[in-house]
Amino acid sequence: MIENNLPVLIIIVPLCAALLCLLLTGINRHLGRAVVVLAVLASLVMSVMQLGLVIKNGPIHYAIGNYKVPFGIEFVIDSLNAVIIVMISTIGFISAVYADHFVTDRRPLLHGAYNTIIALLITGLLGMASTGDVFNLYVFLEITSLSAYCLIALGGSRGIVSAYRYMLVGTIAATFYLVAAALLYGATGTLNMDDMAKILSSGDYDTVMLLSMCFLIPAFGIKMALFPFHGWQPSAYTHAEAGTRPLITGVMGKLPAYAMFRFFYCIFGTDFRYVRYLMLALGVFSVCSMLYGSLMAMWQNDIRKMLAYSSVAQIGYISLGFAIGTPIALAGSFLHMIGHAFMKGGLFFCTGAIRYKFGTTDLNDFGRIYKKMPLTCGLLTVAALSMIGIPPTAGFFSKWYLASGAADQHYWIYIAVLVISSLLNAVYFFKLIEKVFINEDAGLKDKWSRGPELPLTMLIPIVVCFVAILGIGLFNAKIVDVLLLTLGEVGL
Amino acid sequence: MMITISTFLAEKGIYLLTFILLSLGVAGIVTCNNYMKKLICMNIMQVAVIFLFLCLGQKSKGTIPVAVEGLEKAADYINPLPHGLMLTAIVVSLGTTAVGLSLLLRIREKYGTIEEDDLLMRQELLSMEERQRRKQELQRIDT
Amino acid sequence: MRKLFTVIILIVAISTPFFAFDVLPVIGDPDSAPNSHVSDHYIEHAVEECNSPNMVTAVIVDYRAFDTMFETTVMFLAGVSVVLLLAGRPKRRLISPSAVKKRGRTVRGKAVYETVNKDVMISLIEPLILIYAVYVLFHGEVSLGGGFQAGALIGMTYLLDVMVGKRQRPIFNLSKFRSAALAGVGPFIYALTGLISVFAGGMYLEYNRLPLPVHQAELHSIGITAVEIGVTIGVAGTIITIINALMERISFDDDND
Repeated sequence: MIENNLPVLIIIVPLCAALLCLLLTGINRHLGRAVVVLAVLASLVMSVMQLGLVIKNGPIHYAIGNYKVPFGIEFVIDSLNAVIIVMISTIGFISAVYADHFVTDRRPLLHGAYNTIIALLITGLLGMASTGDVFNLYVFLEITSLSAYCLIALGGSRGIVSAYRYMLVGTIAATFYLVAAALLYGATGTLNMDDMAKILSSGDYDTVMLLSMCFLIPAFGIKMALFPFHGWQPSAYTHAEAGTRPLITGVMGKLPAYAMFRFFYCIFGTDFRYVRYLMLALGVFSVCSMLYGSLMAMWQNDIRKMLAYSSVAQIGYISLGFAIGTPIALAGSFLHMIGHAFMKGGLFFCTGAIRYKFGTTDLNDFGRIYKKMPLTCGLLTVAALSMIGIPPTAGFFSKWYLASGAADQHYWIYIAVLVISSLLNAVYFFKLIEKVFINEDAGLKDKWSRGPELPLTMLIPIVVCFVAILGIGLFNAKIVDVLLLTLGEVGL
Repeated sequence: MMITISTFLAEKGIYLLTFILLSLGVAGIVTCNNYMKKLICMNIMQVAVIFLFLCLGQKSKGTIPVAVEGLEKAADYINPLPHGLMLTAIVVSLGTTAVGLSLLLRIREKYGTIEEDDLLMRQELLSMEERQRRKQELQRIDT
Repeated sequence: MRKLFTVIILIVAISTPFFAFDVLPVIGDPDSAPNSHVSDHYIEHAVEECNSPNMVTAVIVDYRAFDTMFETTVMFLAGVSVVLLLAGRPKRRLISPSAVKKRGRTVRGKAVYETVNKDVMISLIEPLILIYAVYVLFHGEVSLGGGFQAGALIGMTYLLDVMVGKRQRPIFNLSKFRSAALAGVGPFIYALTGLISVFAGGMYLEYNRLPLPVHQAELHSIGITAVEIGVTIGVAGTIITIINALMERISFDDDND
């Protein structure tokens, strides 16, 4: 019974926990949070089971309400989103464990509401990854965005303003997405992705696809913070609430990128007339994004702002893979999506831990912090090396796949930009490593009395991220094989 | 000429209106200086998309989609799907507006203004003060 | 002037391509793509498959019930977000309605919201609205109406209660916490309806498989009604939550501060 309904249970279990969280918090102060954490853990276990099933039996099609395909809502789980769902639920679980230390107000109403919103954010992200329906994707997109607005707004007085600005821009993006959905619905008369792809490939729909693409690129560009549309991102990522910042920065930007991939490669396909121009446009955006993000990150003194700008650059890598379009390059971009979620999540777990312990996020205060927080600094170093792209880590291999994909298609300029951007990354991440290991001790005062480095619930995420970054690097060939099961069919 | 215009208006005219509404909303969000006005423009934009979807579901000579005896053909009823979808979109826009308004309330309390340029100036002042305070603190530690 | 220019450019930029390339269907054309492919199936089969003459209800709570579940969740999320964002008490200036008298100052006249004649108007109107809400809820399947409207009507009664100030006995006395928890319970009933059909061996939200000893067609009606009740509770709870969260902070012009 559970096996047949895995795709939907993965979403429903955290949803039910979120809906009941407030009620349970009223009964007992800790019950609500415990249920949320357990529910996300359950969906992590189920998502691993689902990945196994998908690898063994091929894609799962799950029709909700048992209606025939174009009439009801359908979930389609292939090897791509099975991997992404595992990634989301892992990071969701460790963030749910980690976030509780940053709650300042422990009145039951507020504590319960905070956990509710975390669980709903995870639900929305999982839903975006699994759905196979255009309008259902919009609903999940909005759930994700609404909970993100709220979590960003909890980060103090700056957070409110950046959340408001993000809300305005994000609503433009959602509206543009709806316009594109309306166009596609007007042309095909269906909302199911597979059905739409079938109809679009059967006739002359090139203009509709071009026009809807003109709305989809800004829509997803805004949501994933690609270069010309990234205006909201640095301040929002910087001032987001500290406990959930890894989730917001690490995972939230990736899902619109995944949705963009679905639209470009699975619905529109690669053989319509204007596909070259669109890929060129996407390539230009990604190149600008990679250079601009890295350059801006070099000038920042606040580590949060530095990492936020570096996210602009890293999103550029992901969309660069879409602009190249060969299966290998696409696999590179998906590997980067997964790897970067753990790297950026890990870096923000570390900064959160440092801020929790010493109350600072200024890079100049980080002198010789490794003596006081060895494990945290270990993850910080590994994640930073992975961001630069040093071999045994995840970052190197994704860049390698991207570069070899670009070389196949003779896009030499993309390779040049990839190298330049990596060098720029090296500049600011070595600055960080230098501060942590070599600079003079800044004499930070521990906010908490002497004891272990960090509470256990804060160490678990750090260890998991550490293992994941190295693991993705070492087992990259296996992951790429799994990804290629789907990507081999849709790429150029 | 007149005939072309009148057929255009009859067949596609309503789309032009919805796109004007959409552009007004986007332009308002980009150009307005007042955050409340931006929120209103956001709502206008969302309403435009709702109109766009409802236009797609329209049928001439169709009645509301509640089954009546004697009308069996599909052509007798307008398309129920866009109406269902837009119910969702309306609720989502309502939720966004609620969150936006409460954010505005907080901004007004924190900064005392909801004009964008004024707000950015105050933020700049605040961060300058913060930096100065920090510098003094460091000097105090040095001495 | 600059604004006008921007607007004109945007209108031209957004709307020209659509009319130049003729991608949108003609208004009111019964044979256009959106009106023929999926929609015909809904119109022709809604009554036999879902046992619901109202096709919009059939679409939103049966064919596309999953969307509606998350739509209700969005409502709940908005309510919780408003509570969370407005939780911290402002330092000054804002007066909650009950605080006016507590401070024992001289009150020059009553605030406008307290002068509404509550005796006759409200006590007559409120039960009527509530009865109408129940009617709309259960009749939504057959005719126009449904859970959202019913929830909004119930929320409206609460708003009336709040507007007239301190009634002797409000119809429902819900704190912020209780109403927020209630708003969560509504969508949970919805999700549970789906889960029951999973436990009975069907797909999620497959009303045919609900383990009840009635006829097939009845099962759909029961499923739709259960879901609509969930939606009603969720929407009413959310509206009450938002009203509660706002009432703590709103100051009125005539509060005599």
